[in-house]
Amino acid sequence: MKQILLFLVLFSVITQAQESNQIIGKEIFGDIEARQIGPAVMSGRITDIENHPTNKNIIYVGAAGGGVWKSQDGGVTFNSIFDDHAQSIGAIEIDPNNPDKIIWVGTGETWTRNSVSIGDGLYRSTDGGTNWTKVGFEESERIAAIQVNPENSDEVYVASLGPLWGDGDQRGIYKTTDGGENWEKLLYIDETTGASELVMHPENPEIMYAAFWQFRRTPWSFSSGGPNSGLYKTTDGGENWEKIHKGFPEGDLGRIAVAIAPSNPEIVYAVLETEDKNKSGLWKSTDGGKNWEHLNNDFGLTVRPFYFSRITVDPRNPDIVVKGGLNGSISRDGGKTFKNLGYMHSDIHDITFHNNDSDIMYAATDGGLYRSWNGGTTFEIVEDLPVSQFYHVSVDNDEPYNVYGGLQDNNSWYGPSSAPGGIKAKNWNPIGAGDGFRVLKHPTKNIIYSEMQGADNVWRYHVESNRVKTIQPLPQDSKTELRFNWNAPIAISDHAPDRLYIGSQFLHKSEDMGDTWEIISPDLTTNDPAKQDQSKSGGLSMDNSGAENHTTIFSIAESPLDQNIIWVGTDDGNIQLTTDGGKSWNNKIKNLQGVPANSWVYHIEASSHDKATAYVVIEDHSRGNMKPYVYKTTDYGNSWTSLVTDNIEGFARNIQEDFVNPDLLFLGTEFGLYISINGGKNWAKFENNMPAVAVHYMDIQKRENDLVMGTHGRGIIIIDDITPLRELSPEILEKDVHFFETEPTVMVEESGFSSSFGTETQFAGPNPSKALKIPYYLKKRHTFGKMTMEVQDMEGNTIAELAPGKSKGINIVTWNYTLNVPKMAKGKTLDFGGFTAPRVKAGKYKIVLTKGKESYSTIVELKYDDKAMVTAAERAEQEDYTMRLYNMIEDLAYLVYQVDEKIGLARQVLEDYPKAEKVAKSYLSELEALKKDLVITTGDNYVASADPELREKMAELYSNIASNYGKVGVSRKASYDVIESEFNKALERFEEIEKKEGEKLSKFIKQNNIEPKELQSKEEFLED
Amino acid sequence: MKIFKTFFLLLFICSGLNAQTADEIIQSYFDNTGGYENWGNLEGVKMTGVAKTQGMDIPVEIYQLEGGEQLIKIDVQGQQLTQLAFDGETAWTTNFMTMKPEKSDSETTENIKRQSKDFPSPFYNYKEKGYEVEMMGTETMEGTEVYKIKLTQQPVLVNGKEEPNVTYYFFDTENNVIIASESEIKMGPMKGQTNKSTLSGYQEVDGLYFPFDLTMMGSSISIEEIQLNPEIDDDMFEFPEVEDEKEADDQNKN
Repeated sequence: MKQILLFLVLFSVITQAQESNQIIGKEIFGDIEARQIGPAVMSGRITDIENHPTNKNIIYVGAAGGGVWKSQDGGVTFNSIFDDHAQSIGAIEIDPNNPDKIIWVGTGETWTRNSVSIGDGLYRSTDGGTNWTKVGFEESERIAAIQVNPENSDEVYVASLGPLWGDGDQRGIYKTTDGGENWEKLLYIDETTGASELVMHPENPEIMYAAFWQFRRTPWSFSSGGPNSGLYKTTDGGENWEKIHKGFPEGDLGRIAVAIAPSNPEIVYAVLETEDKNKSGLWKSTDGGKNWEHLNNDFGLTVRPFYFSRITVDPRNPDIVVKGGLNGSISRDGGKTFKNLGYMHSDIHDITFHNNDSDIMYAATDGGLYRSWNGGTTFEIVEDLPVSQFYHVSVDNDEPYNVYGGLQDNNSWYGPSSAPGGIKAKNWNPIGAGDGFRVLKHPTKNIIYSEMQGADNVWRYHVESNRVKTIQPLPQDSKTELRFNWNAPIAISDHAPDRLYIGSQFLHKSEDMGDTWEIISPDLTTNDPAKQDQSKSGGLSMDNSGAENHTTIFSIAESPLDQNIIWVGTDDGNIQLTTDGGKSWNNKIKNLQGVPANSWVYHIEASSHDKATAYVVIEDHSRGNMKPYVYKTTDYGNSWTSLVTDNIEGFARNIQEDFVNPDLLFLGTEFGLYISINGGKNWAKFENNMPAVAVHYMDIQKRENDLVMGTHGRGIIIIDDITPLRELSPEILEKDVHFFETEPTVMVEESGFSSSFGTETQFAGPNPSKALKIPYYLKKRHTFGKMTMEVQDMEGNTIAELAPGKSKGINIVTWNYTLNVPKMAKGKTLDFGGFTAPRVKAGKYKIVLTKGKESYSTIVELKYDDKAMVTAAERAEQEDYTMRLYNMIEDLAYLVYQVDEKIGLARQVLEDYPKAEKVAKSYLSELEALKKDLVITTGDNYVASADPELREKMAELYSNIASNYGKVGVSRKASYDVIESEFNKALERFEEIEKKEGEKLSKFIKQNNIEPKELQSKEEFLED
Repeated sequence: MKIFKTFFLLLFICSGLNAQTADEIIQSYFDNTGGYENWGNLEGVKMTGVAKTQGMDIPVEIYQLEGGEQLIKIDVQGQQLTQLAFDGETAWTTNFMTMKPEKSDSETTENIKRQSKDFPSPFYNYKEKGYEVEMMGTETMEGTEVYKIKLTQQPVLVNGKEEPNVTYYFFDTENNVIIASESEIKMGPMKGQTNKSTLSGYQEVDGLYFPFDLTMMGSSISIEEIQLNPEIDDDMFEFPEVEDEKEADDQNKN
């Protein structure tokens, strides 16, 4: 007894624990899927290219923020193969012993610009990239190189660059001898210096060269170089390392590139960043690194070493050397002289040669992957890599709505959320230059605002007239310089359409679309001079691009409920609030506990439900702190509550509050999207077609209820129609079946053309479904027994049968509001007009879901398109003609069925009873003649097709009327009359044949006691 | 002491759930769907159902025999079109333009031939067939906890080269039946992408459980009837010799 009791107690403890855990988890999202619309037209930064050693068709590329992509056709098309893991890629390495199967990926880009994402370790696949396992290096943040012993798959070396914004000891050269289970640190310098390159001798894996780099970023500066940078060589598999600087200049070194000439491994090239500018650039050794000679310090060899430090030697010719750079450089004389590579997107990070033809080259740029067929003279872009890096996103209210945003080094763009045949490159329009950030559509005018880095230009573009005006605020007195962030905030107002805000250290306001600016705040930042000297930034190579500008405003949020309430967040830790339109300001950060001082206030979201409520997302990653900070206030910032839970991975950048349900929140982090349905008490990661990509910004398109994300590596990602998420509640989660409320669906009356010319290998973003959606929740997956779904009219007649989804969680079944196609008369060929399914009338319909013995139902509604070009009466007439033809087609089908059956019968009788010839022969021939006039009885479906008969003419007219959204024209009506009269004549002819000839056969059948053939009724025939 | 025993028992039950091997799951799958032996005795199936694409319900007939013979026939506007037929040697389809049978290319035929041991299930006797299975762990699929099992079959030929033939099967942890599978598309413009199928609506047919509802790449098939060991017209799988087109012939056919 005690045992049983105990069991019950334990059992209840377990179940209770489960119940209190009854929160939304990722399994609930079911059929709600993200839609990745790219674009790939400008693509994004590619960091590493890895060609298969023997199969010329297989290429892997790693993106700065877009994961790993695999091509099986020489780089023409690519598939993403790393969606579930950190999308920032440092290095990819194919195991030369098992190149079809074993792939290593080191995450964390090593081209360490200000906006770079982070990695989370080293991964290994043993099946060509289908499945991945993490094998350590969780604290490395960035992995620069991986080398596999070409004679032993288990022996692998890793160059860990390590953290960019802080100290770290998971840096240096590591080795495993058991395929990644255990790692030994072979060479380590200190917590500020990482291994930035590792190359292996092609014939002797004991010989390796390793470059070490001392580097550091802060939010306001970058430093490349120091006494610890250096170049090392081992000749014993990493046991011992020797610094090989003979010939190098004295003083500190910066980032070093190194490469061995595969066809002559004694030749080693290195590119140095040095204190003495004359000694930077290309160095060459012809004795395996013992001695070095300086060859070249052209711009192309010395430009921005932190961003360009990859050198590649032609596998067949030691004198052909290419180096990444602003344009990319190539030497054909062993490094003495260089010329630029052919025209392509600037900023080249990696270059590879095809494995058996050096004329074919691949280049990784800030604007995607390029391919050359002629040794680098001309390059073409790969059009299938949607790894675009958006900083921001916004939407308008057009139909379809447009998406606007700016990208890293790829300008600003806008494009439609759907387009005929998919959203292709041609659908995107450039709207800016340089690096792009905020792009905002004027709420009422055909005007778009955009900007470039540091608000160096802010543009007001009048779309129709194609006119640009530059409108950024300029200093108003000689003493005060304006400090704009690289990624300067601009906001438009919900209250006054011409109003515009922009933040420097001050908040600027314009009431006339940027023509006049007024400063409405004091300096809202800390104005800390220690963080304002960017002219000294860069380390050995000065790098003052504006990317490190600091103590600036970063976020502006005017309350949608009160134009006098404006929130401002700064990159140096202030949360400033005015409630009187800028007359007075209050710094609310003092009320917020738990965040390190001067952290970056990345985003403020003013609630659209309550003016005292706001959300703030703070992050501190650029000081080495990767924790997420998300807070909510309901009292104007006087107190704050943290909304962070333990399961959120990575630091957060953006939060989006739903404008209908204040408890529905979306959180964008460095590793993807999280959703809460209870105001931030719990978060579930959303992973349905949503990669673990950095979400930089989000917006909701209010008409379509779409969540639109600007990701920094996978372009624009949309979750269409979030309404089911609004309704989810603990009560619904307890129900076996729950139909979500839906708005009436518009039956869009659009047709048109979409061409696919030239887009065979080009990325096209998928379109959303225009069908009626039936969202419902299932508590449990339906695996056993029948489950069906049908659409009924309000009288209970079945209109359509649908295939229901059976997942646990949210299912979304679509119905394209049509009847089934009409049952066609059987002919020799197919009739394509007969594949037209007619639309049902607008109105209410009942959806009935039957699951075992239970049945559940809901009502849905269809509406006509407001933009239709027909009157209600014209549409009613079109529907009427359509259905008359639909029914006539089925009547004809039944007629042909009867004729076929009778022909069969007559033939049978003739065969069995030769004496029946008198009664059956002319009957048969008349029926056969009739049939020839009803349907096509010869030819094929293509160019051997016969002339159309009644079925074909009828179906053509039917299809023509049913699929056009216009009034039925006079000529079509006339055509209808002709066809109807022909059909009536055919019916009469059949009746007459039956009366005259058929009677005779019937009699004969009776007389000879032949079993008569039962014909199906019309209902049975149509049902069959 | 008793308390501890009970506790350990509970722990054992809980941990037992997590430590299933691929073989145990496969065994349990056969047990739960009618018994290993009964599956072994199956000689063939005929499935009749409807394929749904938007607005069109297309009747489908599928035959599969122990020897690998198969036939998929669809009915469009009263025309019987063979989507795929295989008699053990020759695979063929109906060309939609000419409505005439055409032989599949030799590589396709070879790949179908290599799969002819799959009846009644690729997991049945998989070791003897030379297939390999591997337990990949648990995952969420269709909102449900599943075991992911990797099945490696005889390699497929892709443009003359052999490539690994791997399919992942997802067995729900509650009943150990397959609710989904995934494999990489090896040919055509979608090469490299994943083909996902789901299986549901399991129902009993003479002691064996079959999924009656299947989805694949956005279209679905609802099976209405399954006949075990159906009567077979032997030449239905064979490539038909094309008759000359004559008017008389056509009339005979109609």
